[in-house]
Amino acid sequence: MNNQNQILGVFDDPDVVTDAVKELVKHDVKIKDVFSPFPLEHVWDLLKLKTRMPYATFIYGALGTASVFAFLYWTSVTDYPLTFGGKPHNSLSFVVLMFVLTILSGVVFTLATLLIREKMWPGKNNPLPDHRSMDDKFVIVIEQGRDMDDNDMNKIDELLKQNGAVEVNRSNV
Amino acid sequence: MYNIKARGVLIEGNKSYHDITRDVTNPLLAKKTPSWWWITAFLATSMLIWGVWGFYNTITVGTGTWGLNNSVSWGWAIINFVWWIGIGHAGTAFSIFLLVLHQKWRTSINRAAEAMTIFAVMAAGMFPLIHMGRIWNGFFVFPYPNTRGPLWDNFNSPLFWDVTAISTYLTASFLFWYVGMMPDFATIRERTTSKIKKAVYNVLSFGWAGSARGWLRFESAALLMGGLTAPLVISVHSIVATDFAAGVVPGWHSTIFPPFFVVGAIFSGFAMVLTLMIIVRKVYKYEQYVTKKHLDAITRVLTFVSLIMGVAYISEIFVAWYSDSPYEMFVFFKNRTVGEYAYSYWAMITFNAIVPQLFWFKKIRSNVAIVFIISILINIGMWYERFVIVVTSLSKTWLPSTWHGYSPTATEIAIYVGTIGFFILGILLFLRFLPMMAISELKGINKETSIVTENTENHE
Repeated sequence: MNNQNQILGVFDDPDVVTDAVKELVKHDVKIKDVFSPFPLEHVWDLLKLKTRMPYATFIYGALGTASVFAFLYWTSVTDYPLTFGGKPHNSLSFVVLMFVLTILSGVVFTLATLLIREKMWPGKNNPLPDHRSMDDKFVIVIEQGRDMDDNDMNKIDELLKQNGAVEVNRSNV
Repeated sequence: MYNIKARGVLIEGNKSYHDITRDVTNPLLAKKTPSWWWITAFLATSMLIWGVWGFYNTITVGTGTWGLNNSVSWGWAIINFVWWIGIGHAGTAFSIFLLVLHQKWRTSINRAAEAMTIFAVMAAGMFPLIHMGRIWNGFFVFPYPNTRGPLWDNFNSPLFWDVTAISTYLTASFLFWYVGMMPDFATIRERTTSKIKKAVYNVLSFGWAGSARGWLRFESAALLMGGLTAPLVISVHSIVATDFAAGVVPGWHSTIFPPFFVVGAIFSGFAMVLTLMIIVRKVYKYEQYVTKKHLDAITRVLTFVSLIMGVAYISEIFVAWYSDSPYEMFVFFKNRTVGEYAYSYWAMITFNAIVPQLFWFKKIRSNVAIVFIISILINIGMWYERFVIVVTSLSKTWLPSTWHGYSPTATEIAIYVGTIGFFILGILLFLRFLPMMAISELKGINKETSIVTENTENHE
C-alpha cells in the first residue's frame, strides 16, 4: 500500500492490452506492472522483464549432484565400507541416486526460489489493484511519479482510452 | 514445431474468459454437494474400511495372513504396487511430456491427470510398507546415523533406489501440481463470497497476484520443474523394472524390462486418464472443454503404445526361444502361453495388444461408450501383465521340488480393494474442493492469438 496515486487501465482482451503496452512504452510512460489472469509473454518483452531462474536451477542441480556423491562416497567408502558381491566401493551405480536426487533438489529449490523472489507465503494478504484481473480483465498499473502533475496523469488516461481501455480508474492500493 | 492450426479450437462454444472462470469454479463453490458424490464417497469409504481391516490383520498377525509361500514370496502386494505406480505415471507423462512438447491440448486434462498421479502413487506406496510386515520398522530404509555400526543402506540396491525414486516422484509431482494450482486458488479467492472459503483459498494461493513479473517467474519455474520431473517418469519405472530384472529368475532376467515397464506405465496411465475424463466430462458437463478431439488424441496415443506393448510381448517370446535356455523356454512355452496361469497371459495379450487396435477405426474412436470400456479393459490387462510376470515366474523356478501355486487370501484382496477406495475418495475430494482444470492455462489457450507460437521470442 502507498499513498501515491495510480492509474489503472482496464482492458478485456490480451491482444489489445499488449498493443496498449507497446504504445505506452513508445510514449515513455513508466508502467509499474500489468496484472493478468494468464501469462502475457509479449508484455514481458515490452517491459524488458528477465528472469535468472534457469541459472539458479542449474546451480541447485549441480549442488545436488555433488552433495549426493559426497554423501555416498563418505558412507560407502570412508565410513563403513562393505563389499557387496565383490563390487567396488566407489561404484558406478551411484549414478542412479545422484540422478534422482539431483532432480529432487532442483525441483524443491526452484520452487523455494519462486516463493522467495515473489515474496509469497501461505496466507499473505496481497490486495489487488483490481480484483477482476483474476477473472477476465487485464490491468495496466501506472504510478504517479513525483514530477507528474494532474495534467500528465490526464494525458495518460487519454492514451489508455485511445488504445482500447474499457475503463480507466484511480487507486492507491 | 507445434502448429496450433493442426488441432483446431481447443475449447468449444466460444467461451469468454469469465465463462471459463465460472464453469470451473462453480462446482467447487457450490454450497450443496451433489448426491452422486455422496453415494460414490460412501462406496469408496466402505472399500477403504475393508482395506483398513486388511492392514490391521497384516500388522497384528503378520504376512502369514497372505497367500505367500517360500516360492511365491511376491504376490498381490507387488503386483498392485507396480499397477498403481503405472497408473501414477499418467499425470506426469500426460502433463509434463506434453508440456515439454508444447502440446496445448493437454490443458483441460493435465490437472486431473496430476491429481491421479498423487493419489495413485500414495496408494502404491502402501504396498511396500505393508509388505514389510513389521511396518513400524519402516524407517530402517532411510539412511540415517544409527547405532548399528553405523551401517548404511546398500546404495547399490534397486530396492533402495525404488524408495528414493518413488518418494522423489511423489514430492516432485505434488509440488508441480500445487504450483500449477496457485493462480487458480487466487482466482477462487477473488470469486468466492464466503468468508471462510476466502480465507482458506487465500492461504492456499500464497497471496498470488498475477503481475507480469510474477507470471514470468511462475512460468519459468513451472517449466523448469516440469522439465526436471519429466526424466523421473522414465527413471521411476525403470528402477521398478530393475527390481525384477536384477533378480536371476527366469522370465525376469532380461534387459527389455526397463523400457517395457516404462511403456506399460504410460499405457496404463493414459488409459486411466481416459476412464476418469470420460466420467468427469459427462458428470460435470465439460464436453466443451474435454472435447471429442481430446479423447481422439488420447486413443491415438494408446493405439501406438499398444503396438509397442505387442512388439515387447513378441520379442520376449522370440528371445526366450532364441536364447535356447531351457529355463527361459519353459517359462514362456510351458508356463505362460499354456498351463495353469495361461488365462492371465492371454488376458494380458488380448487387452493390451489386441483390443486397443480397435482404435484404428474411427467409428470406435468416436464412440465414447466403447472407448470407456476399452480404457478399463486396458487397465485390467495391465494388472494381468504384472500378475503374469510375478506369479508365473516365481511359482515354477529352477527346482521342481520348490514349485508352489499362489492364490490371494481375503486379507490381500481387502488391501487391494482398500487402495482402490482410497484412490476414488482422493479423486472425489479433489473434484469437490480443488480446481479440476487449470483455469489460467485454459484462458491462455482460449484465444488463438494468445498462444505463443514458435516464431515469437522464446522465454523458456
